[in-house]
Amino acid sequence: MNRALRAALAAGATAAVGCFVWSSWLPNSQYAPVEISFAVVGLSFMVAGIAAWQRWPASRLGLLFTIIGYLWNPAFSGCNASCPANVLLIGNGSRSAWNTLGTIAALVGLVITGIVLTLIVRHWRSARGWSRRAMIPLLWIAPAVGAENILTGSLFHFPALVTYALLPLLLLAGPVLFVISTVRARTAGGALGTAIVDLEPGASPGRLRDALARALGDSTLQLAFQQPGGAGHLDTLGQAVDRSVAPIAGSGGTVLVYDEGLELEPQLVKLTAAAASMALEHTRLQAEVQAQLEQVRASRARLVEAGDAERRRLERDLHDGAQQRLVTLSLALGMARDRAAGADPELEALIDSAGKEAREALTELRELARGIHPAVLTETGLTGAVQALVERSPVAATITAVPDERFPAAIEATAYFVVSEALANVAKHAMADGAQVTIRRRRPGRLVVEVSDDGAGGARPEGSGLRGLADRVASVGGVLRVDSPPGGGTRLEADIPCP
Amino acid sequence: MSVTAGPAEPKARLRVVIAEDTVLLREGLRRVLTDAGLDVAGTAADADQLLKLVQALSPDVVLTDIRMPPTQTTEGLQAALEIRRRWPGTAVIVVSQHVETEHLFELLAGDPRGIGYVLKERVADIAQFTAAIHRVAAGESVIDPQVVSRLVARPRRNSPLETLTERELAVLALMAEGRSNQAIALQLYMSPKTVETHVGNLFGKLGLLPAAQDHRRVLAVLTYLRR
Repeated sequence: MNRALRAALAAGATAAVGCFVWSSWLPNSQYAPVEISFAVVGLSFMVAGIAAWQRWPASRLGLLFTIIGYLWNPAFSGCNASCPANVLLIGNGSRSAWNTLGTIAALVGLVITGIVLTLIVRHWRSARGWSRRAMIPLLWIAPAVGAENILTGSLFHFPALVTYALLPLLLLAGPVLFVISTVRARTAGGALGTAIVDLEPGASPGRLRDALARALGDSTLQLAFQQPGGAGHLDTLGQAVDRSVAPIAGSGGTVLVYDEGLELEPQLVKLTAAAASMALEHTRLQAEVQAQLEQVRASRARLVEAGDAERRRLERDLHDGAQQRLVTLSLALGMARDRAAGADPELEALIDSAGKEAREALTELRELARGIHPAVLTETGLTGAVQALVERSPVAATITAVPDERFPAAIEATAYFVVSEALANVAKHAMADGAQVTIRRRRPGRLVVEVSDDGAGGARPEGSGLRGLADRVASVGGVLRVDSPPGGGTRLEADIPCP
Repeated sequence: MSVTAGPAEPKARLRVVIAEDTVLLREGLRRVLTDAGLDVAGTAADADQLLKLVQALSPDVVLTDIRMPPTQTTEGLQAALEIRRRWPGTAVIVVSQHVETEHLFELLAGDPRGIGYVLKERVADIAQFTAAIHRVAAGESVIDPQVVSRLVARPRRNSPLETLTERELAVLALMAEGRSNQAIALQLYMSPKTVETHVGNLFGKLGLLPAAQDHRRVLAVLTYLRR
């Protein structure tokens, strides 16, 4: 309905312009400059009115602006001089008719002006925040329209210069101010966008509310949530909401609760709701990704721990099973050898070599078991296990510090793995003379494992060995740093959170 | 073997208690040691049983595995330390699967006299094993040669060890195994005098105090090698 009316008014305005242009191009057109300026004023009011209507559909302000525009159009109000045509088709000769018409127009103008002023003031009072600030220029229209009525009305008479030079300027101020107001509104709308963009990812609904409230200038803005069972909404404090609400799409019944002053700005409320929807969706996705990441992290830690447990079990099985049997076998062979001694030298030699084989097998098995899981780590913690690594390192290695305390198994295993891999890398790639191992508690809650060498440097952190090490460190929530300038030695540092 | 009854006889036979949780090995050891002329006074399958046996039997030597039930970690080691604390005169040989030295140092930290640390496969060399039991019973320290050789062979940087002669290194290794000068002289076919000279020289080179040349020298040497 409003839309149809707006379209009709716009069509009327276009027709008026057409009529005016057409008549002013007629050969004997005698439009005075003042009439042309009046036409421009009228037209700008019409355009501004239609635009205002579009912006504040709930307000009659736009319609009244448009009507004022029509009244100003010479093609409608007729000519005081000798223009060839006017829409009312009143002849130029009919002087009294023009005078009556002028008085009526002035009176109607006064009434409309009064209504416009009332509306502007009412609108301004009910508006909130930026919407209200954006309306300030409109308030200036009020004195302008008042002046117009006083100056041109048939009720008073002023010198022509005042009437015809000052008036159009004064009146043009209306539409110009309206344009300023609209630009300011746009800027305020932009502020809303900026507020949403500036909102850091994963901000809580509370932060979102604050940002939206700031952008809208409505400190009473609230986010409220659908009550279970669908009966109304509760705000974040659990209070029932009895104000204007706008649903936020895709938020599972969350609504924006805003000051009724903003009802004049449905576009803006819609925009805000959309922005809130985006931000909430963003937060929700962020939380979802975070939760998934946490799950992955936990499952990775579980996998590593399960692997460690399995290795411990394997090592124990080897120790309790195969190793013990081999020891028993060696013992039996030793006894057999002693029995055969002297009696049968050939048999003795045979048993001797069998015993040697068994011992070799034992040594190999011991190394295998140690590689699977170092029992000394479980038994003595990092102190003994790191000492063992340093003792068997093919490159001269020394210990600077190792804390003499026990840590959770996963952390000990990770620290051990770092030292073990690092020393193996030093031996394989670094061409180093020596390496140093330092394990320290740094700050409360961090264990720092550092292995450095004086070798060739140039280790690539993305190499598969260091990659695996970084993964292992990450499985307990730590980070691995590699500092390996070419020719400057390599420094490996694992920073592990620990209780 | 002829056994003559007499008051000196029980003194001559060393009384041994064995703690080992694997039945087969425990029984094998009992047999081997009995055959070697030792008196196996009792056997235990875990640390608690071992402590009770030691209290009841006052053996000369205790032979214990490190890993035993219930946790299969260091029960034997803890029992050995407790035995040394409560019955200091009892010699203890700890049988270990580890070439790692952590447990060894825990064990030697007190008084190293009458302490043995041997790798499990050593039991197969019955003569050597029996000799080790006699040595600890006589108050010597016995450290498995394999454990020592690993320590001696470690790569080092700017270490005075690099300045030792081959002979001196051999003497050093035997000292680390807990050998006396007498035994070193026998093993390296040297005169005890030569051994003394070597020991003096290498102590000088390594900067070890001559005071460490008493019963604690094994610990001093091992600590040096482990550094």
